[in-house]
Amino acid sequence: MEERQSNKAGGVGGVVLLFLVGFVGALVVGWWVFPQLLFSQKTQPIRFSHKVHAEQGLDCESCHTYSKTGQFIGLPSTASCAECHPDETGGTTDNDKEIDKFVKEYAKPGIQVPWLVYQYQPDNVFFSHAAHKGFECATCHPDVANMDAPPPYHENRLSGYSKQTMKMWECERCHAQMGASNACYVCHK
Amino acid sequence: MGLDRRAFIGLVAGGAVGTLFTPIPWKLADDAAIWSQNWSWIPRVPRGEVTYATTASKLCPSGTGLKVALAGGKPVTVYGNPEHPLSQGGVSPIGASEVYMLYSPARVRTPMRKVGGKFEPITWEQAQTELMAKCKAAGNKAACISGDVGGTAGEVLSAFLAKIGSAAMYAMPGEAGPAAAGFKLMGGQGRVGYDIDNADCVLILGSDIFEGSGVSVRNRKAFCASRPLGKDQTAKFAYAGPVRNHTGAVCDSWIPVATPHLGAFALGVAWHLLKAGAVADAADMADFKKLVEANYSPDKVSKLTGVSPEVLAAVAKGLSAAKAPLIIPGSEMGQGAGAGSFIAGMSLNLLLGRMNKPGGVMALPELPAVFPGAETPSEILARDLPGYLKNVGDGKTAAPEVLFVYAANPAYGLPESAAMAKALEKIPFKVSFASFMDETAAMCDLILPNSLTLERYDDVVTPYGSAFCSLTLVKPLVAPIFDTKTTADFILDTAKKMNLALGHDSLEKALKEKAAVVAKSDGFVAKEAMPWDVLAGKPKPAFDAATLWKELDAGRAWVKVGQVAQTGLSFAAKILAALKPAAAELMLAGMSQQRTGTAATGLPAQCLTAIPDTDLKAGASIVRLNAATAKKYGLSQGSGVTLSGAGGSCPAKAHISENVMTGVVAVPLGFGHTAFDAFSKGKGDNFLKIMAATPEAGTDMTVWAGSEVKIA
Repeated sequence: MEERQSNKAGGVGGVVLLFLVGFVGALVVGWWVFPQLLFSQKTQPIRFSHKVHAEQGLDCESCHTYSKTGQFIGLPSTASCAECHPDETGGTTDNDKEIDKFVKEYAKPGIQVPWLVYQYQPDNVFFSHAAHKGFECATCHPDVANMDAPPPYHENRLSGYSKQTMKMWECERCHAQMGASNACYVCHK
Repeated sequence: MGLDRRAFIGLVAGGAVGTLFTPIPWKLADDAAIWSQNWSWIPRVPRGEVTYATTASKLCPSGTGLKVALAGGKPVTVYGNPEHPLSQGGVSPIGASEVYMLYSPARVRTPMRKVGGKFEPITWEQAQTELMAKCKAAGNKAACISGDVGGTAGEVLSAFLAKIGSAAMYAMPGEAGPAAAGFKLMGGQGRVGYDIDNADCVLILGSDIFEGSGVSVRNRKAFCASRPLGKDQTAKFAYAGPVRNHTGAVCDSWIPVATPHLGAFALGVAWHLLKAGAVADAADMADFKKLVEANYSPDKVSKLTGVSPEVLAAVAKGLSAAKAPLIIPGSEMGQGAGAGSFIAGMSLNLLLGRMNKPGGVMALPELPAVFPGAETPSEILARDLPGYLKNVGDGKTAAPEVLFVYAANPAYGLPESAAMAKALEKIPFKVSFASFMDETAAMCDLILPNSLTLERYDDVVTPYGSAFCSLTLVKPLVAPIFDTKTTADFILDTAKKMNLALGHDSLEKALKEKAAVVAKSDGFVAKEAMPWDVLAGKPKPAFDAATLWKELDAGRAWVKVGQVAQTGLSFAAKILAALKPAAAELMLAGMSQQRTGTAATGLPAQCLTAIPDTDLKAGASIVRLNAATAKKYGLSQGSGVTLSGAGGSCPAKAHISENVMTGVVAVPLGFGHTAFDAFSKGKGDNFLKIMAATPEAGTDMTVWAGSEVKIA
């Protein structure tokens, strides 16, 4: 009887304490462990330095071009890259080695580099870059122009998409702010 | 302090509440929804720049020029090439399947050799070594069955066969065969083509010119052009045949005539023309007139064909009154008609003076060959493949030691399939160059898969029915997806290793020479003017021969409108006199539709949803009869029916349709495959197998259109 009372007396505090332990523990798992588990980290097949290229006066559209039809081509082809990097440099710097890796493994065999794209939208989304040409690229994309190495690519193990893929609410928020239509058919044809 | 029940509940409750303040439930729900969009069988949108390239269809017999869309360098879809004269933006279902067929589950992915009844993969080197050994052992006892004798690749096979001393080169049957044989028997020179564009009255005798016969896409465009929006039509079309098929359905009139009676019908019309004073500059004009007047009077023809004398007179009157009448003979299913039937139809063109006239029948020259020793397409087409195989099966003709099968599927696509398969089984070594695992490939000892249209160099040369000569380049737009090779290149290499060099190292080089040779033969590039405009009198545009390869590479066609002058063309009256139109209580009429592919392609997967349940329902073939025929045999809509003919029987369901003439059962072709893939197998039946292959009186050429059938 005494023991039960003791439990009851100290038990409320103990229950609250353990509730808080569980609560905080869940927060830790949810905000720190879960993202580690959900996303795998991958690196780009070539350590491409946007910074080196930007310093040489190239802007985004020098490589990420639009076709004559207005279609955004997205990634440059291996042939496009090989226009400037047709041969191995034989150099010993990290950048030279990376160029040589590109030439040897992709340019000479004529294989497209399997770049990891940070912001591919699902197939059911129609996104037109041409319609968004008035914005700076870095408004939506990582500002890689100042990076000597591409940022790590985090792939969602469940959905298969990049962590940085823009979510629909982000599209809708910007459309609302800009006064653009948020009708379904604007993005889902 | 121990962890009692209350404390545990508190911990769990804390964890549960805490979880609600984390992304776990919300993110997982969201990602699970996205995950469900990306299952492996869901088609993905291809990435990359969308570009366009040109080529021409080799799977479709109409030789349509194609405009192919590529995304990131991968072909994704096909359009008709608006700049190509045989397309003008139109494309057939088979042409449209050129991209999808690249990934067909039925594709043969590597060379294979049959060992112990099963196929095992081998290398190209092993296959070539085995093939050379067999060829050397066979000597000149080799034969070839080809589904493409018109192009330069056909020349390669023909030249190779000639080098080893064999003349047994056969073409799969179509309408070009009876036309070539019939025109030759008439003393004609060249290949026949029909200038529908410039005709003002077209009588079609059986031929399904808007679907399964000839340059169907071009013919549809010509038909459309004759019906300008908001203006009077410029040409009338009449269709005589046993079933109102895709051609009969759009013509101004349909005259029900059974296929074996089309010749008699034509000669019945000729009776009226002769009576009206029509004459032709032919040596046997008198014999022909005597024959028609004696045997094809309106009453006699009406009694045989069921066509009333008034209709015969009206048809003759319409043709006589027209400025540019044209008669197109053939068969409703694009095969199986005889040379005699062709001659009877052509006799009307002769009587009306329609040879080599705008809007008439054009005698086209063969394009120069670039492989010495190769036979002309006409020589090969005039041979009788079903007759040859039947004789091989019956032991009347010695079986070859080696058989090459190229772009053809004779085990499926010939009449009396069982008899043909029996003949094929007698051939000790069979080599298939099939791109797909078809019924014939499955019987062969060696399969050397040909690359598909979008993966190889090839050409399209003057498809049957075209009113003008043409050359279109087929070029690779993508590297071979599987371990396949261009058959012509493989044969050239094999010949070289056997010390039988044919003159070129590769088909690409041969095609370049072909372009250089034809450039000198008075043609032009169809660009500023189309060939039918030049036939109608428009000046021929200037042509720079030096630019031809570049123009061909850009998807344009080289064309030529010159005709072969005819000397000694006759009615072949002796052959017509020997014709004996078959009479049967019930006859078959085949419906060959492009959505069911060809014998060599099987059913294109993307066309399955376009097959109506009046052709195929719940895996069963649907056959069509009109109400009168159905009543006679006690059938009604949906009744089960078993059709029995020469080589067995076919179960089906009945569909009552007044688009079929009395005494005829219309059957859909293209079904009943036992090979290919899940898209083709187990769907309906192959009615060709119950069609009797019989020799035509007068020509001895095998015929099977309109063969007799019984309802069990």
